[in-house]
Amino acid sequence: MKYTLLHITLIVTLGWTYAQPSRLTVQPNGKIATITQAIALADAGDTILVKPGTYREGNILINKSLVLIGESKPVLDAEFRHEVITVKARHVTISGFKIINSRVASMHDPAGIGAVEADFLVVRNNELVGTYFGIHVSNSNHIKVVDNALRAIVRSDHETGNGIHLWQCSNAVIKNNFIHGHRDGIYFEFVTNSVIDGNVSEGNLRYGLHFMFSNDDDYTNNTFKDNGAGVAVMYTKNVKMVNNRFEKNWGTSAYGLLLKDIRDSFVENNLFDQNTIGIYMEGTSRTSFKNNVFSKNGWAIKLQASCDDNVFSENNFQSNTFDMVTNGTMVLNTISHNYWDKYQGYDLNRDGIGDVPFRPVNLYAMIVERIPTAVLLWRSFLVFLLDRAERIMPAVTPENLKDDFPRMKPYDFNL
Amino acid sequence: MEKLKDNLIQIFLLLTFIALGAACSVKPEPIVYGKDNCHLCKMTIMDKHFGAEVVTTKGKIYKFDDVNCMINFLNSGYLEERDVAHKLVIDFSQPEKLIDAPLAFFIRSPEIRTPMASQVASFETNESKNEYNQQWKGIYLTWGELTTQFK
Repeated sequence: MKYTLLHITLIVTLGWTYAQPSRLTVQPNGKIATITQAIALADAGDTILVKPGTYREGNILINKSLVLIGESKPVLDAEFRHEVITVKARHVTISGFKIINSRVASMHDPAGIGAVEADFLVVRNNELVGTYFGIHVSNSNHIKVVDNALRAIVRSDHETGNGIHLWQCSNAVIKNNFIHGHRDGIYFEFVTNSVIDGNVSEGNLRYGLHFMFSNDDDYTNNTFKDNGAGVAVMYTKNVKMVNNRFEKNWGTSAYGLLLKDIRDSFVENNLFDQNTIGIYMEGTSRTSFKNNVFSKNGWAIKLQASCDDNVFSENNFQSNTFDMVTNGTMVLNTISHNYWDKYQGYDLNRDGIGDVPFRPVNLYAMIVERIPTAVLLWRSFLVFLLDRAERIMPAVTPENLKDDFPRMKPYDFNL
Repeated sequence: MEKLKDNLIQIFLLLTFIALGAACSVKPEPIVYGKDNCHLCKMTIMDKHFGAEVVTTKGKIYKFDDVNCMINFLNSGYLEERDVAHKLVIDFSQPEKLIDAPLAFFIRSPEIRTPMASQVASFETNESKNEYNQQWKGIYLTWGELTTQFK
């Protein structure tokens, strides 16, 4: 009887302590000196507080639901030999660390933070420097990556992974991160119902943001600057691209935005400034391009003949070398109510809309499309004459690629 | 003097033929990773374990980042079969090395993450194919079988 009572008390007390999440503190030269040790001691649901210092523990494996908080950015250094943190549990939070020097490998994808089947993962306020992949998440839902800074250091030519890499995830939120020097800044493959908001992705080798087979996602309020190319959205449907800046993506065949085989999407309120090509589109259908500003691009839009049912309306085209070019004569897209700074028509009835249509494709752009070296003749008198002749009697440029309602004054989008 | 002139003409002719010969060569050229773009999907080719190349009988070169891009291009009818001189793929076990595609050994497995999600790696030898496939446990395909996968 006595024993049973004791047993019950014990069980109740133990159960009580078990239910209360406890807090473990890791400190160099403290009672718990390594994070690995703290993880081994912790129960699911516990918090591990890491005091300032440098921790060289190789690979840190988190295999239970834990909250890891770094105080004044403790350094986790994998000394180029391991993945720094590996998460293999649900409900894990990693916040406030400086994560450096992951292994570089081409067969596997070592990362600063690698996560597999880690639903509800939160990665917040970390700094990742010199990692191969930055944050690499696969097969996880409801994850959050917020307020992190990622800086890759490229050692040999192009040996770098992606900054934030998601593979087969859903309901992810990627917000307010800074990404520099990776292969792709942010990479989505088979990712659905996710949001990318307020990130700055610049100086990456390939793309600022890259979508592959990822449907029903939004990306808003981001800046993509100085990347190999800005953003590539490929083999995807229903993507909202709103309020982004695509700047200074220069180089042969570089572009602000590449759309390849996508449909039912929105490109609205974006700024395309100083890109070789503002938007390059191929196999794009039923997509709306509205309220965008295209300024100082080589080509504002390269619209391949494989695109149909797209609507271009209420955009500003200013100081582009070429506003639009296409590679065929069939035009199955609608273009109306845009402002074109090259428009030389008149507005007799003063309704703000030009009285004669504007043709954004000029003869010379079509010739350069077919014979790239012809660009040498740009601004020559011969080309000027040809262009004028073409405007009167179109022979090469698509007859029905025109804006019937060109606006006389630019829109004020305040971008 | 006359002899020298003859010699000069001969040398000139020889040089011309060499120049022409070089211009018309139907040789594959290496893929420049990080710089070349895939002809089909327009992506910059980055992953040295994957890539493909088509060389026409006239010496025109088309590069691809993944084998399915090359197959889709070949299936598109843009080139006639008789105009294709070389079809090449990268050997997974020897990054950047182009090998003859119809003679290569292919493995398809969801474990293989390729730039355009073909899930296919190619190998020059049967041994290296078997070695890598111990870990992937994918299916083995020949070139003929592979081309039917992406129709």
